[in-house]
Amino acid sequence: MGNLEYIESYFCNELSPGERVQFEQKIINDKVFAEEVAFYCSAKQMIKNELDSEKKEQFRKIYQQTNASHQSKINATKIWLLSASAAAIVAIVFGWYLFEKPVSTPQLADKYILEHFQTLGIRMSSRQDSLEIGEGLYNDGKFPEALQQFERIIKNNTESFEAKKYAGIVSLKLKNYDKALAYFSQIENDSVFSNPAKIYKAITLMERNNAGDKEQAKELLHQIIQNNLDEKETAAEWLKKKW
Amino acid sequence: MPPKLTMSNTVIIHKTSDVELINMLKASGIDKKNAEEQLFNAYSYFIKEGQRKYKLSHDEVFDAYADAMLAVIEKIRNDAFKGLSSIKTYLYQIFHNKCVDFLRKKTTNKQSVHQTASISESMFQLSDSAKSIINKLMEKTDFDLLKQKLNELGDNCRQLLLLWADGYSDKEIVGKLTYKTADVVKTTRLRCMDKLRLLYNTKLY
Repeated sequence: MGNLEYIESYFCNELSPGERVQFEQKIINDKVFAEEVAFYCSAKQMIKNELDSEKKEQFRKIYQQTNASHQSKINATKIWLLSASAAAIVAIVFGWYLFEKPVSTPQLADKYILEHFQTLGIRMSSRQDSLEIGEGLYNDGKFPEALQQFERIIKNNTESFEAKKYAGIVSLKLKNYDKALAYFSQIENDSVFSNPAKIYKAITLMERNNAGDKEQAKELLHQIIQNNLDEKETAAEWLKKKW
Repeated sequence: MPPKLTMSNTVIIHKTSDVELINMLKASGIDKKNAEEQLFNAYSYFIKEGQRKYKLSHDEVFDAYADAMLAVIEKIRNDAFKGLSSIKTYLYQIFHNKCVDFLRKKTTNKQSVHQTASISESMFQLSDSAKSIINKLMEKTDFDLLKQKLNELGDNCRQLLLLWADGYSDKEIVGKLTYKTADVVKTTRLRCMDKLRLLYNTKLY
């Protein structure tokens, strides 16, 4: 690893005053060493910039979601004020029926799948890799081939978060719910910056709709809210409905 | 003095005090991410106020706010925020400066003046002569290529390096990823850095 550990010791203040002077002198006298130090600083700065970009994207998502719900509240109030009398009659006639009618969980899941799983691979990086081949197959509607591609990646790299996530999504599309659940379960506790595995798992259960699935899905939605995970707004919205 | 903000459209209830937020931001694990989001949401009304006050586009004001937020989080974590003002005042001052920067950029059309690369905090530790050498070498860095190579490192290395850049210690990373000890994390992290260096240099020469 060359001098990386030594360089890090300097920047982490782990060297004695004498050693620090030696380190700085080495930068002046040894061009190769100076280049290693410059690389360390550049890489750290670039990684920090990359992290900041990811955080900004996350902030943007939060802001858009918060704003959308705030805006819809304002619009709803305006509409309500303008059509209060008409709405009152409609509400009396249909209100009880609508309020009491339980929501169809497969329909909720279908809507989510339609809105979120149309295409894969909207990424900011210019990465060209085997994952992209799978994304391309998915986007062309070749789901079995896409699944094969993602499973090939997983076989070579059992830790690949993205490949497992995509394999789960394709399995869900192919209505192979057990397989989808298995993939989402494998990654649900991965500590990545953005991990929607729990909501995907809940959606799969809602789609499968076997005995006990609804309850499991509800439990997962509660976990998403409690732990402030991805898609907590969607989870909260769904839990407000009568199941 | 920063211009005064009107609070007419503020719906924030300050359930979490500055002290609590600072402690959460400095903590490890889920608290850290929660605190960042709480802080972001608490003052996101600055964005609309900024649009009205500075006559900037929504995207420009959002960028200014997000950049200011990231700067405040970093200052708090590095203990550079001394608590001489509230977090809100401190954030607003930085946000105001970022908006003014955008305005200057628009009115003078001298973007390059405002696009100087920020010097890494760690660089300030170096003596002037060493710093000058490192600065000159860093100016030659192809950051786009370096970023591309980071993405080629693989998910595990990329995730590990991002956590490190986010201020997580090797010990904290043990709990977040599947490593056995802090020593293993350190060795793996340094190997990832070395791999990045090799990938970058291979492409460069």
